[in-house]
Amino acid sequence: MTDNFRECHVVADGFRIRCLEAGDGPVLLHLHGASGARWSPAHDLLARRFRVILLEMPGFGAEENTRTWHVREMAGTVAKAAAVLGLRQYGLMATSFGARVALWLAEGWPGYVTALVLEAPAAIRPDAMVPLTGTPDDVAQRLYAHPEKMPPLPVEDAARNAWRTRLLARLWGSPRDLALESTMAELRMPVLVVFGTRDTVIPPDIGRKYLDLIPDAHLAFVYDAGHDTAMERPEAFAEIVGDFLTRGEAFSISEETTTLFP
Amino acid sequence: MKVSYFETGRYRAPASMRARWPMPPGEYAPAEGGRVFDGMVERVVLAEKLGFDWVSLSEHHYSPRILTPSPPVAAAYLAARVSQIKIALLGPIVSHSNPVRLAEEMAMVDAMSNGRLIVGLLRGTSNEAMTYGVNPRESRERTDEGMELILTAWREPHPFSWQGRHFRYRTVSVWPRPSRQPHPPTYALGTSQEAGAFAARNRIGLGVSYGPFDAMGRATGFYRNECARHGWAPSADQIVYRANILLADTDEAAEQALKDHPAQAPFSLGEKLADALLEVDKRNVAGEARAASINRALPINFAGAPDTVVKQIRQCHALTGAGIVDLGFNTPGSSDPGVLMESMDLFGRKVLPFIRDI
Repeated sequence: MTDNFRECHVVADGFRIRCLEAGDGPVLLHLHGASGARWSPAHDLLARRFRVILLEMPGFGAEENTRTWHVREMAGTVAKAAAVLGLRQYGLMATSFGARVALWLAEGWPGYVTALVLEAPAAIRPDAMVPLTGTPDDVAQRLYAHPEKMPPLPVEDAARNAWRTRLLARLWGSPRDLALESTMAELRMPVLVVFGTRDTVIPPDIGRKYLDLIPDAHLAFVYDAGHDTAMERPEAFAEIVGDFLTRGEAFSISEETTTLFP
Repeated sequence: MKVSYFETGRYRAPASMRARWPMPPGEYAPAEGGRVFDGMVERVVLAEKLGFDWVSLSEHHYSPRILTPSPPVAAAYLAARVSQIKIALLGPIVSHSNPVRLAEEMAMVDAMSNGRLIVGLLRGTSNEAMTYGVNPRESRERTDEGMELILTAWREPHPFSWQGRHFRYRTVSVWPRPSRQPHPPTYALGTSQEAGAFAARNRIGLGVSYGPFDAMGRATGFYRNECARHGWAPSADQIVYRANILLADTDEAAEQALKDHPAQAPFSLGEKLADALLEVDKRNVAGEARAASINRALPINFAGAPDTVVKQIRQCHALTGAGIVDLGFNTPGSSDPGVLMESMDLFGRKVLPFIRDI
């Protein structure tokens, strides 16, 4: 974990919301997964091209959130926080659980979201999805294809863990949320869906369902990465995400040189 | 005049399939795919029987249009089933291929067909740069270098190293070696001054395609001037013109078919993608800039009754110098391979005998 970010707080819907921020340029707003906000090497890489803002959703940090009952409300809170931050247009990236919030946000505030990136999204889940619980080692086994190569996960504060679990119990919803899925057909911005090929939390096969539902969606597999793709293969992840956010569907056109010698 | 039958692997896609490149492979129907390759053999056997000189194959990807992403594979399949007709790969896309691998595969086809291989090498259509992720700004120079490496690999009798701009090999030593040295009959395919200059410099043929006769004449004229500058003159057999043909019993029937079924682009790219591609993919005809062909229908170059088509082919020869026409048979309104074969048959009986003297 790196700490090349600035920390700030905004108030929205009565919540004091923590933001981690780095870089300059077009804004990339990131909504984290169920385990909370954690700055990663991928953020550092993306911060070379974007003003990256990792927003800690209320209830995933230092204070309990007992007021949010639906992901749609959470999307509203995030939209207000973005407005307080003065963001008018931004690329929106969301990880796993965060995708549920991001989809409602993109549907409700489409003029603000220029492009959407869904990393291992949990907006459609397998029926038999096993929650990520246990010791940090247990969780690492589930999150990564190669846990032995990854830095150890931090030990969770028990109280935070408990109130986050209560919040998630309210916000998860059913594996197939038809209302949420119906928002996908309305999306008009380009959407990139990214899965690690060794994601065992949400099978990468689910990626194809997003392509069936979203009009302008692209699917990308990051080879040999697990559920936490950005943490496990940050260079590979950040490169395609950055290209997509910058160029939309034209990211299919390579700009790389293959010149070896002049 | 020699005639080549362009086998396009006619896959009958349902009308409901959205023709947006790349097309989703989940919509591929295996039974129809099987029919494509059975039909390919059937049509090429007919072409051989009718006296066509070549069958040609081309490389396209990620759509059901022209279902031969690997021309050498299709060529190997055909080589075992026909014995006289020459097999022309027009051609492998060099810009995105491993040139050494291409040299090996084509040499295999040459050996399998007892030296009936004809080779055309090209940069590829604009969308193909995205197939394997080639930067369109570099695809021209990758093509030139790849073509030169292929010719070198076929020609050199000893292992060699290649220290290129885009390709680097410490050891190249291709087996099998083509039966004809320094290489099988080979063409650079394209209308650009780069293609013409490359072909002239390397004493190979030039293949142009689909453009109006006068414009294609400018490309072949540029090539011939370049050949003269290098001290040689190409034969008519060294200029190929690939064209679409719509042959009917009468001119009126052909006109009606064109009216009823105006030519359409075989697939489209998304608007933003197309614009971005046009920005970076620069093309020219003999040095004169032209926009890359994206989301545009290809013209029908020869259309009418047999005697009309004979005149058009004569005019084509007069303006382009082409001694070989490579023909893609169009049957507007019908995807039935049987109709295509009727058209081929009509050509074999009523056109082919009357253009041999050209």
